[in-house]
Amino acid sequence: MMPLNVAALQWLRLASPALPIGGYSYSQGLETALDLGWVYDAKSAEHWLSAILMGPLAHFDAALLAQACRAAAAGNQALLGHLNQRVLASRESREQRLETEQMAYSLHQLLSVLPEGAEGWPEQLQTPYSLPVVWAVAAHQFAIAGEAAVAAWLWSWLENQVMVLMKAMPMGQSAGQQLISALLPQLHEATALAWNLPEEELNNFAPRFSLAALKHETQYSRLFRS
Amino acid sequence: MWYASLQLRYGQRHGRTVPILRQHQGPLRVQKHFVQPDGSCQHIILHPPGGIAGGDVLALDIALEQDADVLITSAGAAKWYNGFGQAAQQTLTVNLARHSRLAWLPLETIVFDGAQVQSQNRFDLQPDAALLWGEVVCFGRPAGNKPFQQGYWRQRTEIWRQQQLLWCEHTRLAASDPLWQSAIGLGGHSVIATLLWTGQIPDACHQEILALPCKGEAGATQLPEVWLARFIGDSAEAAWHWLRAARELLYPHTHQRHADTPRIWRT
Repeated sequence: MMPLNVAALQWLRLASPALPIGGYSYSQGLETALDLGWVYDAKSAEHWLSAILMGPLAHFDAALLAQACRAAAAGNQALLGHLNQRVLASRESREQRLETEQMAYSLHQLLSVLPEGAEGWPEQLQTPYSLPVVWAVAAHQFAIAGEAAVAAWLWSWLENQVMVLMKAMPMGQSAGQQLISALLPQLHEATALAWNLPEEELNNFAPRFSLAALKHETQYSRLFRS
Repeated sequence: MWYASLQLRYGQRHGRTVPILRQHQGPLRVQKHFVQPDGSCQHIILHPPGGIAGGDVLALDIALEQDADVLITSAGAAKWYNGFGQAAQQTLTVNLARHSRLAWLPLETIVFDGAQVQSQNRFDLQPDAALLWGEVVCFGRPAGNKPFQQGYWRQRTEIWRQQQLLWCEHTRLAASDPLWQSAIGLGGHSVIATLLWTGQIPDACHQEILALPCKGEAGATQLPEVWLARFIGDSAEAAWHWLRAARELLYPHTHQRHADTPRIWRT
């Protein structure tokens, strides 16, 4: 259990949907999965989210975030730069690329006006920034432990995806909370998996998830930006 | 169990691209090259006729000198057979000098049940060098009548321009993986294809490619450094049909000419 200190409160803050970095405007392919009928009810939504969580999130995005948290803690700017490139180079669609860049930009802007972010920005890091790398730097500046920062990332993702379902499927508030209850044990598992994943086991293979990201760009009716 | 390597180097001589180095070891060869009327070079790789088995190691090392313009394809599918517990490996290393252009379009890769494949592709591009990369991968038998019950497919592909990583893909798919059936994975399909160009494609051409009919599901996107298209379906033939149609639409923009169909694709 994390001690109840300022860092614990910072942890809540980083994971909060009120963090002004614009996460609510992206569905990360879920809007397309709904449009194509791949996701159509609570059960199919649970399967879709569970597969993403235990697949490309735990084995790629969150795993790169874990590496970035270690690099930020060690002050290894060169490694942060490599990880930043890898996140950007692995985006499956233009929208996904814009999403990570826009959210990273907003979080960087936010840090620059906070007392916690006054010092310690990795100046060697080149723009455009990717969100996992800026998230790792933010967690370090907020004195949040790396593994907790990964859990906060996954939690933000889950909460945001449930919000998408509530708006676009639609799904009721209680059903959304039931979905969160069903997925929390896996979120815990995914955090540990990502935190301990060896570099050679990185894996972002999820072809229909990629296809959903591509198809969103030409979807006729869209509420979300990805 | 064998080791096979192929080293190819191309250069521009009197307005024509020709192979200036062809070295092979083991059962990996090239046919005689063709120089097209536009001066570009077409070359056909011959994979080991008996396919690739557990323990086999293949290394391909391709270099294009300045201004070289090359299309490389293969004479038949690359077949990775059951390794009976032993992994097989392929390493592709490509270096493209300034203003050179490579179209890397081998025929399909078939990963049979039980194969344990480790594949590594690395492309290094100098300024103004360009790559058109196409890939079709089929899991199990082409007809799809035998599911993939053992083994794995692992491939990492990276495209670099000097010190910048332009694009990468990390694939690990094991027989027991939920990705075979899941809605985010293959969703029960057995064939995937990718077509990628290291540059920008005009929107009108992009829209034409999106409108291509195909027996499967396909999509495309324009990223800052690469244009990327993906296909998922159930037949290598359908994947190739889509990939070739997309290539024909791309060529006027990527190669400033009509896309010649390599003779081997017509047979």
